[in-house]
Amino acid sequence: MYAFLARWADRLINLSAVIGSAGLIFEVAVILVDVTGRLFNTPLYGAQDLSEMTMSIVVFGGMAMADKLRAHVAVDIFEEQFPAWLNRSSDVFSALAGAAIFAGIAWTVYQSSQISLMLNLATNVIGLPKAWFQWALCAFSVITSFAMLLRAFEMLARKREQHA
Amino acid sequence: MSPFAIGVAGMAILVVLLVLRVPVAFSMFLVGFGGIVAIDGANSGLSLLASETFTLSTSAELVVVPLFILMGNVAAVTGMSRRLYDAAYVIIGHLKGGLALATVIGCGGFAALSGSSVAAALTMGKVSLAEMKRFSYSPRLSTGVVAAGGTLGILIPPSTGFVIYAILTQESIGRLFLAGVLPGVLLLVVFMLMISLLCYINPAYGPAGPRTSISEKVKALADSTPILGIIALTIGGIYGGFFSPVEAAAVGAGLMIILGIITRTLDLKSLWTASKESVVTTATVMLILISAHMINPFLALSHIPQAVGDFLGGLDIPAIGVLALILLTYMVLGCFLEGFAMIVLTMPIFFPVITALGYDPIWFGVLVVLTLEMGLISPPVGVNVFIVKSVAPDVPLSDIFKGVLPFWLAMLVTLALLVAFPQISLYLPNTMIN
Amino acid sequence: AAEVLKLAHFVPPAHIITKAVVDPLSNGLKDATNGELTIQVYPGGELGKGPVEQYVRALQGVADITWGLEGYTSSQFQKTMISELPGVVGEKPGYEMIWNAYDKYLKDEFPGTKPLALWVSEPNVFIMKDKEIRTPDDVKGLKIRVSGSAQGKVLEALGATPVQMPATEMYNALQTGLIDGIVTGSSAILDFKLNEVANSYTVGAPLGTVGFYLVMNQGRYDGLSDEFKKAVDDNSGFGLSKHAEETWNARGDDAIAAVKGDSNKTVVELSPEEAEAFGALTLPVTESIVKELGAEDVLAAMQGK
Ligand code: NA
Ligand code: NA
Repeated sequence: MYAFLARWADRLINLSAVIGSAGLIFEVAVILVDVTGRLFNTPLYGAQDLSEMTMSIVVFGGMAMADKLRAHVAVDIFEEQFPAWLNRSSDVFSALAGAAIFAGIAWTVYQSSQISLMLNLATNVIGLPKAWFQWALCAFSVITSFAMLLRAFEMLARKREQHA
Repeated sequence: MSPFAIGVAGMAILVVLLVLRVPVAFSMFLVGFGGIVAIDGANSGLSLLASETFTLSTSAELVVVPLFILMGNVAAVTGMSRRLYDAAYVIIGHLKGGLALATVIGCGGFAALSGSSVAAALTMGKVSLAEMKRFSYSPRLSTGVVAAGGTLGILIPPSTGFVIYAILTQESIGRLFLAGVLPGVLLLVVFMLMISLLCYINPAYGPAGPRTSISEKVKALADSTPILGIIALTIGGIYGGFFSPVEAAAVGAGLMIILGIITRTLDLKSLWTASKESVVTTATVMLILISAHMINPFLALSHIPQAVGDFLGGLDIPAIGVLALILLTYMVLGCFLEGFAMIVLTMPIFFPVITALGYDPIWFGVLVVLTLEMGLISPPVGVNVFIVKSVAPDVPLSDIFKGVLPFWLAMLVTLALLVAFPQISLYLPNTMIN
Repeated sequence: AAEVLKLAHFVPPAHIITKAVVDPLSNGLKDATNGELTIQVYPGGELGKGPVEQYVRALQGVADITWGLEGYTSSQFQKTMISELPGVVGEKPGYEMIWNAYDKYLKDEFPGTKPLALWVSEPNVFIMKDKEIRTPDDVKGLKIRVSGSAQGKVLEALGATPVQMPATEMYNALQTGLIDGIVTGSSAILDFKLNEVANSYTVGAPLGTVGFYLVMNQGRYDGLSDEFKKAVDDNSGFGLSKHAEETWNARGDDAIAAVKGDSNKTVVELSPEEAEAFGALTLPVTESIVKELGAEDVLAAMQGK
């Protein structure tokens, strides 16, 4: 069961990062086309709408991968001085806290997307619905939260094995 | 518990979480969210979590972050930064700490044009850290240089910090921009002296390379023309009015990708690697920035800045003492808060105090902006330090903080000089305008 | 019992919003309730960054009252924003037109909140660097910063290239020549220090206005005592909107007077005939937007017809 979940989590993490990376390249292309077009008085219509909204995908697409690679910055100054149990507990706590934070982000941004639908919110120039990008952000956050939760369980399980 | 007490408790908990190695962004989310809920109810906390997250991750100003990261990564995978540092090594590598001197100038120039010390620390970090390591520079020195170098950009125009200060205080943006120039140059000089001093005391910090002939220098420079050309185009494009600093990031990244493809130093696979790495760094950096924006409303609701302002305004001590205390407050708050958020929170309170004491508001603006930049590299929440850490995962944070400390002291010295000699800030605006 | 309402906005405390809306509302409430109902202001985005989410903040109760520009979320305020289009405000002031149509047509655009004031800015003007605008031909091919899609269409009708950018970037963009000018209300000249970089101003062309709202969380209002409700009612609505718009107009006039008094700057005041040449191109944009929305009845209601 755990192996099955872990395999799926890995696939989803990679897929998120792939989507985020594609978004980043798209972002560069949009701005380049806009800047070049503006030189000839034909800027890309809605370029700012596109680059702002795409950014939500770039930022959250890499979130799960960042956790997998343990890229989130922590203050490691006292790591050596702390006893092993404290370091281990703090790792588990951090993973659980992260899972809760991303679950919270997913939940509240989803709520907020319902408001976006109610208020008919969309970008100013080409009318991209805000809710689409909020949903994307939710999906990435759910994946991140899920991956962190799995990691917390894995650490707890490993600890029990060591004790056994 | 009063909002003030909750605010103080929140900051204490933040320090504890950080010390316990909870990731910086998570700690700030927990404290910011928890604090808002404690003062203002779950409703506010939950909706701020949603709105700050989405607002910052779709912010027009912050689009620079992923773009400059990508630019740095592409420069690294195509070998362009390698050639740049090879050239720098041939040209000034024979000096102790020569590459660090070149890097701090590069950071300053880069931050000057981008107006963002975060973007500068990210890009220059990607470009320079591995290169300096290649030439056996101490990671302490190189990360310190990158973290501190970015802070030059806010003094040298264009600077978002001055624009925000000017709009908040109704001062002239043009005068502030001019006022920042000499202090910016002074800070650069002090940084360079500090690098030389560090390398003089401990030559292993930035070992001197072999002397080289003029022809070798010319050849090295020629080899690095492509990247120098792209940098020149990017800077020229901003000052020439072809694109904004934000767009410059995309232009720089785009040109490097195109050049990489043409010169066959970049294929789809390496572009993919660079892009994926950029997305991961973006995620970590943006999460820190978003979480810092959860601390901001928490502090506003706690009314700590007002309380401090009222306290300072009511003190019966000489003017210079009040000024010193205000700057000290910025340094302390700067440990927890992102710079611009702090200008917004505190300037309405401190500015009337300062003008009532008869201080020049332009000069005060320069002092504030410099002090805020010190906050960016001060523990425990120096955002620039975390940013450098995110591009140098293998260097322990303790080493980065130790590396940054001398530069923080250099800034303190500069700040003292600026306080003692207001002419350094005011000479240009007073002679060039009116 | 004493209550405090949280009012949040995203501009500095020195901004005209304080004099136009915050102070009158805050003092009015205090006077009407013996100081029992007061307002605590959170300026500069203290309760959340930037202008875009202002309406949602009031709706969700992060703040009880928020101030914002309709143009930042124009898809929400399509009908209300008819009041911003070229040629609409003129005979009647903007606040009057908006409140004329509010109950029947605009209320749906403000779900979950109670608008305390709705008004428009002073007329939009050309704020230019090194380019003097007297005829529509002078605008052709210029890069002009606009703040929304309707304004973009107006500028396109004049043959200009509309450019989007955040307000804080306007100063640098004018200075470096990234844009040739800006179309917005004249009060922005002082608010964003544009007088330091722009040297030519053209007033009188029908270019529309900028619309604003001040809204209060409906649940918060409903939960107030009858006495407090009455105090809010008496100090908001039509009267507060009128005060806001008049203060804004005065600020716009001050800005024009300030640049007129500066010998390094040109202020072009178009004659009615010259203005008409612009109107010939910009007024049809209003017509086509109203028609596209099928909102002829809204416009008629605004005009009091
Ligand atoms: Na700068
Ligand atoms: Na800081």
